[in-house]
Amino acid sequence: MEGKYANDPEWASITPIQLDDGSEKAMPLATIAYPSEYLEATSYLRAVMAANEMSERALKLTEHVISMNPAHYTVWIYRAKILFALNKDLLDELAWLNGVSLKYLKNYQIWHHRQVLLESRTHFPNIPEKELDFLMEMFAQDSKNYHVWTYRHWLVRRFNLWDLPREIEDVESLIKADVRNNSAWNHRYMLRFGPRSEKAGMENSGFNGVLPHQKGVCSVVDEDLVDAELQYAKEQILRAPENRSPWWYARGVLRAAGRGVQDWEEFAGKFVVEGEVRSSHAVEFLADVYALKEGRGEKAVEMLTLLKERYDPIRKNYWDYRIQQVVV
Amino acid sequence: MSLAQGPGRAGGNSGTSSDQELHVLKHVAYIKNLDTRKDELQYWLTEHLRLNGVYWGLTALHLLGHPDALPRQETIDFVLSCQSENGGFGAAPGHDAHMLYTVSAVQILVIIDAVDELEKSGRGGKEKVGSFIAGLQNQNDGSFMGDQWGETDTRFLYGAFNALSLLGLLDMVDVAKAVTYIQSCENFDGAYGISPGTESHSGQVFTCIGALSIAGRLDLVNKDRLGAWLSERQVDNGGFNGRPEKLVDACYTWWVGSSLAMIDRLDWIDRKKLSEYVLQCQDPEAGGFADRPGNMVDVYHTHFGLAGLSLLGVVDGLEEVDPVYCMPKSVIARCFAR
Repeated sequence: MEGKYANDPEWASITPIQLDDGSEKAMPLATIAYPSEYLEATSYLRAVMAANEMSERALKLTEHVISMNPAHYTVWIYRAKILFALNKDLLDELAWLNGVSLKYLKNYQIWHHRQVLLESRTHFPNIPEKELDFLMEMFAQDSKNYHVWTYRHWLVRRFNLWDLPREIEDVESLIKADVRNNSAWNHRYMLRFGPRSEKAGMENSGFNGVLPHQKGVCSVVDEDLVDAELQYAKEQILRAPENRSPWWYARGVLRAAGRGVQDWEEFAGKFVVEGEVRSSHAVEFLADVYALKEGRGEKAVEMLTLLKERYDPIRKNYWDYRIQQVVV
Repeated sequence: MSLAQGPGRAGGNSGTSSDQELHVLKHVAYIKNLDTRKDELQYWLTEHLRLNGVYWGLTALHLLGHPDALPRQETIDFVLSCQSENGGFGAAPGHDAHMLYTVSAVQILVIIDAVDELEKSGRGGKEKVGSFIAGLQNQNDGSFMGDQWGETDTRFLYGAFNALSLLGLLDMVDVAKAVTYIQSCENFDGAYGISPGTESHSGQVFTCIGALSIAGRLDLVNKDRLGAWLSERQVDNGGFNGRPEKLVDACYTWWVGSSLAMIDRLDWIDRKKLSEYVLQCQDPEAGGFADRPGNMVDVYHTHFGLAGLSLLGVVDGLEEVDPVYCMPKSVIARCFAR
């Protein structure tokens, strides 16, 4: 075979392993026509992987394969093994990885690889200095990137960043830039009300025998913090009343604090004035408030009917169901 | 099975279509032709999805009423050629075993009624596959990894439950612990994320609700709350988005729709409008479905578009799909009748 590796003395000792894709047994589903560069590189990759070779040349080869196909999951595993075996400088690796991440925004493997590196307490007793800057660079490309947010949540737990001022500042700047960034709202909720113990997830969510009304309810809350969060949500709602995220955030906060939706009756009411509705979410909020109050069932039905007929007719059947649930 | 995009676009050459007919034969031809496109660059760039691709194409053909359009023996040979010594399956021959491809392999073998082939010509019987899957469960929290390298994701947990239950081997894993893990993925908005604490996402809702459904624990779900979140994914043009304030995509017809079906809330959305949207995502000339009208078609969106349409039941001419397994209902009935 002719090619980059076949003609390189550094690789003379390696016998490449050709792909056995069964094409000789005539399997039309499997036969793959590879462009030669990729075919050659992966044939050498198979050979060094089979020998479990931990070397500089193998590391360079993984970079070459990744540059052609970053979704090749096997090559990432091998690369991480080599990095640890050769005790490479992982900050250099992160710098290289940053470039790959910015180029391939929707790739799972890249983020898992990053997590594998930072999981090492020997190499990273503390969070790398530029880590959060890089994540903001990623968010500048796509502020709702699910992989990056998942990684960021993991990072908070891994390095105990709950109260790091930078963490909430980044969330606020992203919400300021786009108040509809639901990912940022979720991250804010976890920072403020997520359990910091080993048990990840929403408060009380991952236990057997937890009753539905206990989920998301914190046993201890800082009432000042709750007030401040509710105030923040109100300010963001005023910027864009038809944005669901802060309305649902507020519901989550009220629940965490063991307060009811009725605390927001007055605020929600400002958006539903005779003849003018400025937010369908406020209408839904009021419906929930009225449904809980004795003697206000008719008002609840009135709100739900508004949603059904005017503001959200596509979910007509859902609103009908809600209307049936109300005790008039 | 090529995962390359195109050649056509949703809506055909004009890019728009008000055509509300399902072009069954065009889609069958599109899927059958995928395999003749090996000279394209994207064919090898998507090798890491090959076995998934066969599952998508095969299921779509079954739903279209053309179950014999792919050669059975060659399909079996290809699937088995992806199996590793450890019992798991890689995306293509020579690729490392991984949960996602192992699940596709099992689904394919069940669809073509060829699970016995694991014993006859594979690397051990179904127990060998089961032990590969069971070995990927984290003993501390009940979650599942994709491979020995440890990436954890509710997709893998669902996949494990799906494949093991199809093989009749669900008792090889700690179901109760996995169920608790799923519960910890629930968020304050009533929906579920990829891991505890991460944003709700309708693809992950499907995996969590699917797994709870297989475990027989849908009683743990607040169906009204989740149904409200799911039904809110329908936007004015009729299609679904995957998260609030994100773009509509035909594949969410499946992720959102099947989740609603599993919790008995599918009637909370406008099925007719959704079906109309999905039909606008098909290429009526060369076949296949895209994520949105005007975009390039691919086999992934073709599979999930058709599965979604089957679920909605508005359009005639499709076999019924099972909302938990995303396989033909008749296949699931046959599998569990044993």
